[in-house]
This record gives sequence, structure tokens and C-alpha cells, in this order.
Amino acid sequence: MRGSRSERWRKPMLDLLVIGAGLSGLMAAYTAAQADLKVRVVNKGLGSMHWSAGTVDLLGYTPAAQAKPVQKPFQAIEALVAQHPDHPYGLLGRANIQAGLDSFVALTKAIGLPYQGAPDPEDNLFLPSPAGAVRPVYLAPQAQIGGDLRRPEPMLIVGFKGVRDFYPDLLAENLAKQGYQARPAFLPISLITDRRDFNTVQLAEALDDPGRRTRLGQELKRLAQPGERIGLPAILGMHAHQQALIDLERLCGAPVFEIPTLPPSVPGVRLYKALRDKLLEMGVRIEAAMEIINAEVTAAHNGNPGLVQWVASETSARPLKHRAQNYLLATGGILGGGFNSDHTGRVWEVIFDLPLTAPQDRSAWFDGSFLSPTGHPVFNGGVAVNKTFQPIADGKPIYANLWAAGHLLANADPILERSMEGMAIVTGVSAGKAVSQ
Amino acid sequence: MHTKSWLSVGPSLDECIKCNICTSYCPVSAVTDLFPGPKYVGPQAQRFRENGQSHSPDMSVDYCSGCRVCNEVCPTGVKIAELNARARAHIVADNGMPIRNKLLGRNELLGKIGSYAPQLANFGMHNPLSRVVADKLFGIARDSRLPRWSTKGTFGDWMKRTQGKRLRAAQKVVYFHGCATMYYEPFVGQAAVAVLEHNGYEVIAPPQNCCGLPMLSNGEFDEAEKYHDHNVEKLVGYARDGFAIVGTTPSCTLTLKEEAPELLDKHDAGSHDLKMAVWDIFEWLREVYEARDLKTDFRRLEMVLPYHAPCQYRAHRVGKPALEIMRLIPGLDVRESCARCCGSAGTYGYKTEKHAIAMAVGQEVFDFVKAQGPEVRMTASDTETCRWQIELGTGLPCRHPIELLAAAYGLYDLENRQLLTE
Repeated sequence: MRGSRSERWRKPMLDLLVIGAGLSGLMAAYTAAQADLKVRVVNKGLGSMHWSAGTVDLLGYTPAAQAKPVQKPFQAIEALVAQHPDHPYGLLGRANIQAGLDSFVALTKAIGLPYQGAPDPEDNLFLPSPAGAVRPVYLAPQAQIGGDLRRPEPMLIVGFKGVRDFYPDLLAENLAKQGYQARPAFLPISLITDRRDFNTVQLAEALDDPGRRTRLGQELKRLAQPGERIGLPAILGMHAHQQALIDLERLCGAPVFEIPTLPPSVPGVRLYKALRDKLLEMGVRIEAAMEIINAEVTAAHNGNPGLVQWVASETSARPLKHRAQNYLLATGGILGGGFNSDHTGRVWEVIFDLPLTAPQDRSAWFDGSFLSPTGHPVFNGGVAVNKTFQPIADGKPIYANLWAAGHLLANADPILERSMEGMAIVTGVSAGKAVSQ
Repeated sequence: MHTKSWLSVGPSLDECIKCNICTSYCPVSAVTDLFPGPKYVGPQAQRFRENGQSHSPDMSVDYCSGCRVCNEVCPTGVKIAELNARARAHIVADNGMPIRNKLLGRNELLGKIGSYAPQLANFGMHNPLSRVVADKLFGIARDSRLPRWSTKGTFGDWMKRTQGKRLRAAQKVVYFHGCATMYYEPFVGQAAVAVLEHNGYEVIAPPQNCCGLPMLSNGEFDEAEKYHDHNVEKLVGYARDGFAIVGTTPSCTLTLKEEAPELLDKHDAGSHDLKMAVWDIFEWLREVYEARDLKTDFRRLEMVLPYHAPCQYRAHRVGKPALEIMRLIPGLDVRESCARCCGSAGTYGYKTEKHAIAMAVGQEVFDFVKAQGPEVRMTASDTETCRWQIELGTGLPCRHPIELLAAAYGLYDLENRQLLTE
């Protein structure tokens, strides 16, 4: 009978359990695995990266100057941190931010999806959004670099009839209104697929086929005028993406670039899949559909921090315990599901019930204006951490073996700041390093 | 038809943010226009089915294979596959169901009938002429891989015959063998018994019924409920006495744990107590291992083994325990398949109109196996229909991980699929 089972559990096989498979969780897992830690990632579902444009936004706007996009992100970070020293960028300092970004760039090169920045590494890139707005971005996959709006070449924005997630007329018109030379054009979708219905991921997979790329490339050549660069929806291949870029540019004789679409966003999916495959190769498994629902902890005692004993995930029957030496929380904020709230205004962190800096009074959640330039207080709240990314209360780590990274951190509003991926990467890398030390 | 309140499945619909991640991962809509994708037939079409409108906007939901990739990738926890299963049950309730689906749902009955004269049944079912007739008459795809009845007796016969040889011990575990082990592949059950006994557990295999899953996935909910009730009646006593009930077929154990209670809205104490006692055998062995009670006196198994965890494992949400335990076996180089689905999805791949879709979906698994090199001699997967499908697609034998474990304990002949002590 089961009751007779001994309770002398094995020492955990894992050095680190990462909770959450967004960019911060995966970068933390990668960093720790590089330091030879045994790591596993558990996630609830796929999220953030499939919604993202696949670019790395480091700092696009500051609360101080919402109307003007940031040209020089590091300078702007310095100013931001001077005003908000407890911003995660302030905890890190320039050297750690740079190290995190370098690690990401090297990784993307190694996995065949190289990311680049502007010619001057102090500058942001300015890339067109799917609506033709200007997005300040620090790093972008190679395929999006050619869309930098500071380049002089006029743009031909090519869409496909029947694709619901990309509108060249709207894009070109909005770009033209802002003084960029752009004109729209359409091609029949039958160049890419015979399907009756399709989404961007399926179209990208269709362009993994060299024959379809050839047909498309020849049509693009027909459309493009000398000196133009061609902007296409981000569907240029999934697994054979890099080859697709080379083929298309060769066939049409013009520079080609991708513009991200509405979700599911192929550049984000490519990055997720490439990181997942790399982690698997390093022995790090991502266990999907495992929602962590509670944790067993021992509380702080005599001035010593507490300890996380295990966390448990929801299953088809009993909760499943996961034991590791260390735990890293990368579940995201309200958007990612790391926080929950109720009608009374209470906002809480769902696994460890860590103290949050978010206002616990509903009337204090929001600013009066929906698009408030200073953002909404509730989104600025989160988990406060120390310089080694351990959640703290009264300045001291709460648990000796718990770390946190990404969107759940306090004192930042990544949506307002356009700092989402940058924050995820640099806090993930730094937290991963801190665990490894 | 069930008209009871929709508890956990229904409300999950409101969590859908229409992000389309499910559609971009759906292995079925990736290969056919006949299935527009989980978001459309699930949360989107559900709006048309509520408030007394039981009808689906169209029949495309019938092309959902129930693999649950959508549930796994959904960032907000919508139970899409379950919404689809219920929608199919509505269609069946409105329009009735083809005799073919009734046949495919009656796994246990077919197993029983064939077992009276297995040679004859095998001949009757497997000769080319009858496959053509079954295809034309019933819509059972002629190229699908149908099982063969065991010609060496059922698993139950074997348990009875070897009663005197079976281990008696203070530690006991209840075995849910399911229909396929009972009638088609008793050797899987024998391997499970050998592994459990090797670890000092006496195995009880009480009377039991089909879990009802084939009926649930074909939309025949009322019949499925009868089977589930019988199982609760027969097994809940063991659950309440504190026994673990372990199964070698993840689809059966998933049905006992979750699918039947959830789809049929069975929230009675019996269903709940049974659910909490049921384990996939490797899920349970992993607990035994963690508690340092699993024997690790393995002999080396020198081979590369591509392993595909069935979709039902995904739905258990317990990770891949079979992979973790097999990786303890020295010499065994287990390669993990990240493919979405083998395509068979229970009875889906047996249907004439769906067989080609099933094979196209499975291509990801077949390609993965091929990519592991020419030295691969066999593959592994936990669910019967997955194994049969992978065998069909790769031409290589596919074994249950419990057979690998029994072989590593030196108890089982992997080639001939029999216990060495027999």
C-alpha cells in the first residue's frame, strides 16, 4: 500500500527550476545551463514571445518624454535610473545590461537567427510597426534591419490578398504621412499557398519550400523599381528563414525586409523555437502545460532567510511536486499571469504570494487617462528584488533559494517604456548568473 | 444528452483572448483545409452554441483529433479540446452517429468477441478483401494499422494461469490494464506485472471495464457514462483503501482521472476518489524512484531509442515520467521527440476520411525517427494506437516503455515480446 512509502526523498536532481518560458525564463535557464547547472523550465502555456514582434526593445520611450522616441537608449537609461534608482536597470548598471545583451547577441548568432542593432551601438533602430507607426527598437533579427526608417531608400510595401494580419495600404499611407517614402502593392496569395485559409505561421512554413520562394522572388522583381527596398509581412520562412532571405534578395535584386504582423508573430515564434531547441540540446527540457499552483516554504528564522522546499503544479489528478535546489520565478506580471487581482483591489503574486509594490487599493490602480503618459501605477508594481535578483522584504532576501526576473519585477513599466524584451533578457541573464554563483 | 451545468470547461471559454497561438500549433489544421483550427471551432464557434442553441455553425469540429496541443500551448488556460469534444457530442445527439463510430467506440466488446476465436478473427479482419469491404461499407481506412487479437490468450487468462507464481507481498498495487492489453497485447501487462513484482509489489488486477474514451471521442457520451460508472463501482473500493491504481495506457488513465469526470460533469464522490487514486504507471514509478524505492539493478541496453510521448501524456500534465525513468537505464540513449502528435489520435486515424490527415500529421514523428540514424532498431511510445501508427509510418517496431524497463531488469525479451520466465 502506498501509505507505507518512506518519506526520505532523493536530493533534488535539479539545480534550478525556472518557472515560466518567456524570454526572461529562457535566458535565465540558458545562462545557468552554460554554467553547468542542471536546469528545467516549466510553463503554463506559450505566451509572450508568440505575441511579440521578435525585436529587442531596450528603452523606447521614457515617462519623462512620452511624445518623443528615445534615440540613444543608454543615455536615456542613465537619466531614467537617476530619477528611479530602484528601476531594474538601476540595479544592474550599464556593464551588466551590456553583458546581458552581448550574451543574447552571441546566442542568436550561435542558433542561426542573428540579431543586430543600429550601426552605432548607442542608437536605437526605428522600425515600422504593422500599422506604419515608428517603433524604437534596440536589436532586431537580421530580416527586420532593412526596415530601419533612417535609411534613405524608398519602400515598397508588399502584401498578399486575403492575408488578414497585414495591410500594405494602411502601412504605406501612415509611413508617408510621417514623411517616409512608401507605396503599397499586392500579390496574389496563390504564390505562397493553395490553402483556403491560413495564418502567418502556416504561410511562413509554406515559404520553407524553395519552389514557392522562387515564384515569389520573380514577382517581387517585377514589382520593384530601381533603388527601392521591399517590405513584406514577417512570413519569410520558418525553419529555412535565413535561406529564404538570401533567396528572395537574390531573385528580386532588391533589399528585402520583414515587418512583424499581428499575433501569432512569426519572428517571435522563430526566436522561441530556436531558443527551445538550443536548450534541449544543452539538456534543459521545457515542460509544457504545467501551471505551478503552490509552494512549500520554510519561513525566515532568527534573521536567516526562509527556504523554498518544493513547488507543485496542477495535473489531471493530484498536484505534482517539483523539487530543485533553486527556483527562479519568471511568470510575468498581470499580462503573463504571474499576478492576479480581485474586485477589492488586492493584487498578489500567484505562487509564493511575494509582497508586491502595486497599490492594493483599486482606486489607486489607474491614472485618470487611459493613455496616460506616466502609465498606470498598477503596472509599475511588482516584486522588489536586490542586486542579485532575489525577492526581498525590508531589504533582505525572503528565501535563500528563490530568484526572480522579467516582467514581474517592481519599479518598471515595460509596456510604457517599450523595454519589454530588453528587461527580460538582461534581468534573465543576470538572475541566471546570480543563481550560478 | 447531458444538459447539466458546464462547470470547468464552459467558463474557460471566457479566458480566450483570440491570440491564435493554438491555431499556429494545431497539427491538424496545418495539413488540411477541412479543419479551420482550434480557435475557430472551439472558443469562437462556442458562442453560437450557447444560450440554448446546441448547433455548431458547421461540422468541421468533427475534424478535431483531440490531441490537445491547443490546450497545452494556450497561454490563458482555455480547455479547447474539451469544448470540441462536447460540441461533437451535440452533433451526435442531433444527427445520430455512423455505425462505424459506434464500432470503433466499442473496443472492449470487439476485443471480447474476437478473443473467442482469435485466429479466425484476425483472418476475418486482416485479409485484404475484408479491409476493402470495411473501407467501403463502414469507412474504416484500409491502410490503417488495426490490432491483432492475442493468439496466446488474454491478459486475464494469463493472470489466472500464473496465479500460483505471482508475488504475494504486503505492498500491493492495483493494475488497470485496459482493453488493448487485455485482448491484443497481453505482453505489455506481463511486463508491467514483472516490473512491479521486481520492486516488491503484489499486483491486483480486479475486474474492470473499458474506460469509455473511444466513446467519448466519438461523441457517444451516454454510453461512455455507463462504462465510467461501472469502473467507479468496481474500483473505488481499492481507491478508498489507499491503493494506487496504475495503468499502462495513458489514455485510459487520463479518462479515469479527468476526461470522463470533466466531459460528463461527474462530480460525485466515487468519481473523485477514483480519480485521485489513478496513476500512469511511469508517473507512479517516478514517485517510487524519488522516494528511493525503485530498484535500479539494470543491465545495459545498448541502443538508440527514439521516444514519442503520446498526446495523452500531455493532457495528464505530469511531464514525461517514462522518459525520465528510461534515462536511468545504462546504455540506453533515449531521444526525445518534440513532434506534436503521431496523428492516430485514438480512433481518428482509422476513419477513411481522416486516415490521410492522420498520416500527414504523423510525418513529424516519422521524420524525427528517421533523423536519429540508420542504427535505430525500435522506437517507444506509451499508447497502443500511437505505437501502431508509428510502426505504420516508420516500418520499425514500437514498444511500450514498460517493456524496455522489464528488459533492463532482465525479465523480458524485447524482440519476441515475452517474459523470460515464461
